[in-house]
Amino acid sequence: MLLYNLRLSWKSLLRNPSLALLTVAAIGLGIAVATSFTAIYYLMTADPLPHKSDNIYYVRLDSWNPERPFNDEFPERPPAQVTYLDATAVVKSDIPTHTAASFHSDLFVYPEDKTQHPFEVSVRLCHSGFFPIFELPFAYGGPWDRRADEGPDRVVVIDDATNQRLFGGSDSVGQRIKLGPEYFTISGVLEPWRPVTKYYDVLNASSGSPEQAYIPFLHVRDMEIATDGNTQGWKSGDGEGFAAFLSSESTWVQLWAQIETADQKARYQTFLDAYTEQQRTLDRFQRPTNNWIQPMREWHVEEGAVPPEARSMMVISLLFLAVCSINLIGLLLGKFLARAPEVGVRRALGASRRAIFLQHIVECQLLGMLGGVVGIVLSVGALGGISTMFLDDVTLHLDATMIAIGIALALISGLVAGIYPAWRVCAVAPAIHLKTQ
Amino acid sequence: MLRMRNITKIYRTSLIETHALSRFQFEVEPGEFVSVMGPSGSGKTTFLNIAGLLDTFDEGHYELGGEDVSQLSDVEMSRVRNEKIGFIFQSFNLLPDLDVFDNVDIPLRYRGMPRKERKEAIQSALETVGLSARLRHYPSQLSGGQQQRVAVARALVGKPGLILADEPTGNLDSAMAREIINLLEQINDTGTTIVMVTHDQEMAHRAGRQIFLLDGRVIDIRDEEAKPLFDPDRFMPSMPTPSLA
Ligand SMILES: Nc1ncnc2c1ncn2[C@@H]1O[C@H](COP(=O)(O)OP(=O)(O)OP(=O)(O)O)[C@@H](O)[C@H]1O
Ligand SMILES: [Mg+2]
Repeated sequence: MLLYNLRLSWKSLLRNPSLALLTVAAIGLGIAVATSFTAIYYLMTADPLPHKSDNIYYVRLDSWNPERPFNDEFPERPPAQVTYLDATAVVKSDIPTHTAASFHSDLFVYPEDKTQHPFEVSVRLCHSGFFPIFELPFAYGGPWDRRADEGPDRVVVIDDATNQRLFGGSDSVGQRIKLGPEYFTISGVLEPWRPVTKYYDVLNASSGSPEQAYIPFLHVRDMEIATDGNTQGWKSGDGEGFAAFLSSESTWVQLWAQIETADQKARYQTFLDAYTEQQRTLDRFQRPTNNWIQPMREWHVEEGAVPPEARSMMVISLLFLAVCSINLIGLLLGKFLARAPEVGVRRALGASRRAIFLQHIVECQLLGMLGGVVGIVLSVGALGGISTMFLDDVTLHLDATMIAIGIALALISGLVAGIYPAWRVCAVAPAIHLKTQ
Repeated sequence: MLRMRNITKIYRTSLIETHALSRFQFEVEPGEFVSVMGPSGSGKTTFLNIAGLLDTFDEGHYELGGEDVSQLSDVEMSRVRNEKIGFIFQSFNLLPDLDVFDNVDIPLRYRGMPRKERKEAIQSALETVGLSARLRHYPSQLSGGQQQRVAVARALVGKPGLILADEPTGNLDSAMAREIINLLEQINDTGTTIVMVTHDQEMAHRAGRQIFLLDGRVIDIRDEEAKPLFDPDRFMPSMPTPSLA
């Protein structure tokens, strides 16, 4: 019966091809828009490291002002980042499988080739654990050795674009580049890499590109590299200048740990609590103990790592699709009711109301499917445009799930557009229409 | 085969009520060929629609093949129409988008018959009406008489016990009309009950029994008092008297 209904639907489309085209175009447009923005939203909310995100934790210590909480609206939340003092102390723990403190800054690169101008790169200062935790993909070499976290060798990991610019894309491991006033030896070169969200730093331009160079965290001190990101503090430090900043209660470092087992986590929690307890004796951490080992995804949600526009665009695009299919109701109603005499004949020959209803729903679904195919093709093109315009060159693509969602949306819009007309046409009294033919 | 007791059908519009059938009594035995005559508006089509379960009625009792059919669900009624009844209409009512084969196929589709059986049944029905060479013609490519023969094939393809025909020759010239009536006789000879509405005296007389309708009632032709009403020379179109609702 399904095949029969499909054949009837196909004949019906051919009987009035321009109307069919209009319908398919309307659904197609709606699907294209809805699928594109749903895809964007889905990609942005997707788990960046599905195989291990449960093992990545964001460390937060409540070093805040005893007078008032860090966040008045959510007083239970510790500060979003940790102080330099705490980051450098806690990162020494060997309880986590990997751990790293990190922040973001900018430095100038001075090319050896004097015909090239110096240029600025964004830099992430971090510990070697950063690379295995977040699985940065290497084209050449790899992360620096753990020992380099303590100095004195200056090492750097550069991204593909910088490697293209300085070394024409060749294997530059072992070469030196001048970053700011110092020379750094390249330990690794990344593959081209552009996660949809900067999941390792959602506080600072989370939809932006990753940094172009990565150097050991310790250079913050000897090179006096200030953060370019978010800083919040409540108490200045001792001494003068940069040293005072480093010893202040300013929170600006992000601390991460990869933890595999519950036991490991419990031990780490004990360690953190013991650490802050000890700091109390130094007149710090005067608030109740509140140290968090927060799963990465929870931190992302708390921070709203998905740009709110992504959600509103998705909602608007779904509404647009709804408008498209609601507009079709009138069109289909006219088309179906014009067919009432034919329906009368079918009823007389034994078609039940249900059979008539199904026949027309199948026709709507055929339109929906055709619209869906058109829409998905359009949306593949649209996604390319959208990514270059709004998303700083993230490559968006439709995966199988998104195609399935697109088709599901198409079927739903076919249903939305067709259910009322189909119900009306199956409710007509057959006897009346038999006479008029 | 078909037994109607005190059937009343009232068409209500906002202004008037029309008693299309009032206390209508009628019976058809299996294998009969009955013609139904009557002036325009006397309720012939209304009667056929009710007999064919295409319309509801307000009062009375209707049995088809010994089964009370007034309380059936839509699905059950559709099955009865599909399996027990064949319809032939004055205006053929072939579906213009479907070719001859697919038109005759319609009732079998709603029966869910397997492909091979359908094909055989359609072939044999089209042979009966002499159109087996026109399988892939569309209705617009056929003459009126041929179209009505396709409609006859469609009515009998499901081997129904009862065929209801509403002025099947009304749109045809007399030669073609005769072909159709010959066909109906032939079908009746195989045991199929036929009820045929017609305006044509000659056609009516080909049936084994004739009944006459007036103002939504059956008039017994043997009733001498009523006979003058149906004298063809004195035939007066009479309308049922509408009463104010
Ligand atoms: N859908 C309807 N709504 C209101 N009144 C109707 C409707 N259908 C039929 N009638 C009325 O019921 C009466 C019987 O109509 P019906 O069609 O049964 O007559 P008929 O005997 O078939 O006439 P004809 O020979 O002209 O076909 C008529 O008065 C008609 O006006
Ligand atoms: Mg009539």
